[in-house]
Amino acid sequence: MATTTVPTKQKKSFFEGGREDSPFKRLLIHLALLAYCVITVYPLLRIFTVSIRPGNRLLSTDLSLIPADASFESYRIVLFDKPLLQWLWNSLAITAATAIIGVILAATSAYAFSRHKFPGRSLGLIFLLTTQMIPSAMLMVPIYILAIQLGVVGTYRGLVVAYSVTSIPFSIWILKGYYDTIPIDLEEAARIDGCTELEAFWRILLPLSAPALAIVFLFNFTQAWNDYLLARVMLGAQETLLTWPLGLQRLQAQFTTLWGQFSAGAILVTIPVMALFLYTSKYLISGLTLGSVKG
Amino acid sequence: MIEGGVVLKSLAEVGSTVLYVLIGTLILEAFLYLVLMRWLKYRYALPFMLLAPAVIGLLVLVVYPLIWELNLSFGNMSLRRFKNWEYVGFTNYVRVFTEPVLKQRTLWPLLGQTVLWTLINVVAHVAGGMILALLLNREMKGRGLYRTIIIIPWAIPQIIAVLAWRGEFNYEYGFINVILQRIGLAPIQWLTTPGPNFAAMCITNIWLGIPFMMVILLGGLQSISGDYYEAAEIDGANGWQQFWNITIPLMQPVMAPAIILGTVWTFNNFNVPFFINQFELESSDILVTALFRAAFQYNRYGFSAAFAFVIFIFLLVYSIFYLRATGALKGVR
Amino acid sequence: MSKKFFAMISVLLIAVFVLAACAPAATEAPTEAPVAEQPTQAPAAEQPTAAPAAEEPAMEEVLIALWTKEGEADGGFQYVKSLTDAYTEMHPNVKFEVVNKEVETLREDFQTSSLAGDPPELLWTVNDHAGPFTAADLIMPLDELFDMSQYVDSVVMDGMTYAVPISSGNHLMLVYNKELLPEAPKSTDELIEVAKQFTGETKALVYNQTEPFWLVPWLGGFGGSVFAEDGVTPTLNTPEMVSTLQWLLDMKTTYGIVPSESDYDGSDTLFKEGKAAMIINGDWSLGGYSEVLGDKLGVAPIPQVAGAGWPKPYTSGTYFMLPKGLEGATLDAVVDFVKFATNEENEIKQLETLNRLPALRVVLDNPMISEDPILAGSAEQMSYGTPMPSVLEMRCNWDSMKPEMLAVLAGTKAPEQAAADMQTAAETCVSQLE
Repeated sequence: MATTTVPTKQKKSFFEGGREDSPFKRLLIHLALLAYCVITVYPLLRIFTVSIRPGNRLLSTDLSLIPADASFESYRIVLFDKPLLQWLWNSLAITAATAIIGVILAATSAYAFSRHKFPGRSLGLIFLLTTQMIPSAMLMVPIYILAIQLGVVGTYRGLVVAYSVTSIPFSIWILKGYYDTIPIDLEEAARIDGCTELEAFWRILLPLSAPALAIVFLFNFTQAWNDYLLARVMLGAQETLLTWPLGLQRLQAQFTTLWGQFSAGAILVTIPVMALFLYTSKYLISGLTLGSVKG
Repeated sequence: MIEGGVVLKSLAEVGSTVLYVLIGTLILEAFLYLVLMRWLKYRYALPFMLLAPAVIGLLVLVVYPLIWELNLSFGNMSLRRFKNWEYVGFTNYVRVFTEPVLKQRTLWPLLGQTVLWTLINVVAHVAGGMILALLLNREMKGRGLYRTIIIIPWAIPQIIAVLAWRGEFNYEYGFINVILQRIGLAPIQWLTTPGPNFAAMCITNIWLGIPFMMVILLGGLQSISGDYYEAAEIDGANGWQQFWNITIPLMQPVMAPAIILGTVWTFNNFNVPFFINQFELESSDILVTALFRAAFQYNRYGFSAAFAFVIFIFLLVYSIFYLRATGALKGVR
Repeated sequence: MSKKFFAMISVLLIAVFVLAACAPAATEAPTEAPVAEQPTQAPAAEQPTAAPAAEEPAMEEVLIALWTKEGEADGGFQYVKSLTDAYTEMHPNVKFEVVNKEVETLREDFQTSSLAGDPPELLWTVNDHAGPFTAADLIMPLDELFDMSQYVDSVVMDGMTYAVPISSGNHLMLVYNKELLPEAPKSTDELIEVAKQFTGETKALVYNQTEPFWLVPWLGGFGGSVFAEDGVTPTLNTPEMVSTLQWLLDMKTTYGIVPSESDYDGSDTLFKEGKAAMIINGDWSLGGYSEVLGDKLGVAPIPQVAGAGWPKPYTSGTYFMLPKGLEGATLDAVVDFVKFATNEENEIKQLETLNRLPALRVVLDNPMISEDPILAGSAEQMSYGTPMPSVLEMRCNWDSMKPEMLAVLAGTKAPEQAAADMQTAAETCVSQLE
């Protein structure tokens, strides 16, 4: 029987086999993917260009990616004269704490939703979903006022708690979905053998849901790492405590911006997150299906 | 560069936070344990104990602000009536529906614009993600590399990505206009004219959103067993028929939550419309950016609180309809 | 990741954090929100301005949170810190917490923190913040506390002064590259003539075509104004506005003086790269241009509108504002610091460091200004300028002018229609200010 291939770039066979694709089709696929990769990466490369272009010029008539007078001066300034490393370190500390707390909170709460049918359960799930719909601008002023009244402005306490809590709904949703696909038999078997419920949770369910945990960790991490609004509200007073979004914003005066340094900072800041993403990308693929597709 | 003292200080800050959280949670759990398990012998003690920290966190950081805003929405707080505002009942809600929210636009065109924005983006995200997922769903050389590169827009902090794209839409220096000119077309004033500005917003957001969809769809594709396709081929179905009758239905449980989330996130997306719209064209505003401006640039606090709730209700109603229609919540029980 | 590994890492990380938290409190500087006013004790004796530290009785500790819009990019923030450090050296009991906030952020956060009852003790900001702050009754009138006659005109609303000026200027002027253009044109007719030389890649004039701040000088030149006599009613639909819009459009399309599109960064880049002979930009940019052009930098007033008047750019500056509710030792310390920061010595220092024109009248006559061609040019332009309105309604004007101006320049609207639409939008906005 003939393979049902349509030799245009847009339609492809859905088979998993690569052996059945003609070389021509393969070439097309590669070209398409390459083209898309270029589109993906190009804007970033342009930021890199701004960062190595001297004179803090955001725009230039020069389209080349590496300008003739390229220099790494901006990187030097932002790393050594400006406290970029400090900002990065602060962000890292906050984000790590947030991610850990967030994962723990989500893992335990999702367990309750998945393995127990308690009153208010479905209401709770709907509530979690609806929190995603709230425009965040709405919450800024009351949170700021609350923070002032609790005295946590200028410290990390309010910030870490706020980050962990705001990522909870999405995290619970993902984890619960994943837990649901793991049959409860394994845990029940363990309990018959003498484990307490929590032990079964710790020893059996958690290890099996490692991919989903990785995703929740990643999600919490990026939420906290990239956030500007909450950080602006809670910090800002103590110079040494700034996270990188607040720090980069310092490089802007009322009318002028040190674009060279800003871009250098932007590139440096993106690297840790990208590295983390790439490292966990294989988990992303498998874990994000929410475990609900059964072959 | 970075001093030891500073390193220690932020560690100490974070450490003290973690300590507080730990101690707070322990106290909370101990209290609940005593009350729920020992004293009341409540059947559902364990799940409530597990949920308690999250619930408290959400109460403080989500429910309390919502109530605060609700309270505000029934009052007329603005700059002139800053500390001494009064309750005015449902006036604000009526005004949200009848008056221009910013300078000239009223609610309904804004809603229409937001719906259009969401529709274009979600359709493009799903279509683009699906195409890429289909392309990548095979053994091929460089597959891992392609996947990694394509994820990059998702990994970059959104603000940086948006600023990068904004630079590219610059009339004279952005590469888009340069390329347009090179192929003989006239350059477009992306940032100063309404239509192109909206297009620019969409282009940027599509670029940002495709990786997420692709990852989800790829995962879904990979868990569809090949047996289905073989069986269909034996029956004589062609590629297109296989796609509609096998792939799409089987992907539904994966796609539905992703589409809902994607829709909600796009509907409420603030960064892209706000920052691409460098010159604050009112035509490029969607609901949430208009809300932000009403609240923070015009200081119409009471009005914008009501406005925020109206937006929220729109989304809620939409979600309920969508969930019912696709039956996607069946998987939730 | 294996479960054990994961667990170990988490425990390790938590342990590290907890240990660090238990580290001696000595490493932790106070990180609490700024302490509010101290309970009034024996009031601190008033220090004479700029006097060396004399014998002082035991003073109580005062912490002043100073929010400034000055960023690091133009050296402003560093200058503010130098002032606060100098003051603390003289008065060790007064400590500062200097925070830089972007202009809009500063306004929003000041409003919110006032609402929460904990505003910063001192603001270093722009004049149009006074509008919202007085409307919400958040700052205090200063006539009793300072001798305003020493300073240039400051922010006056309802007959009371609400700000102490630190520097004046913030105005637009004509900046030119002497290498490309030895002498600046004095009238718009001359400008049109001069522009004919620049037909190639180098442009005659560039400016930020996207902000109405660059429109108002020309409006002044044509004799118009955004407000009526009362200072709060918008008057945007006037023949003068139509002429202004037409002139801006003509500069672009009819005479080809300016490029078809340029925003702030674009025009700035072109001028710095030597691809534009003239730029209309503000005094804050002079430092950067000096670095690039050195002696080739020239400053002149914006050319006179042929048959009408000299353009009147908006002048403002930077200002100190005090929140309501300051009292006792904190109030005294704040007032004293403000006097210190704006005394003659420091105003001259500001002139040298930041190239900003002073706000103290007596320093305006300083030879440093008349002898420096750049500063002299800037001062001359400032003399033609008009104070930027600080009232709450001004925001409505800015917001209404912007999209209409953009539409006219994009060729999608006629100037007459744009002026009419501006007026409607401004009136709607004012009525919504409640």
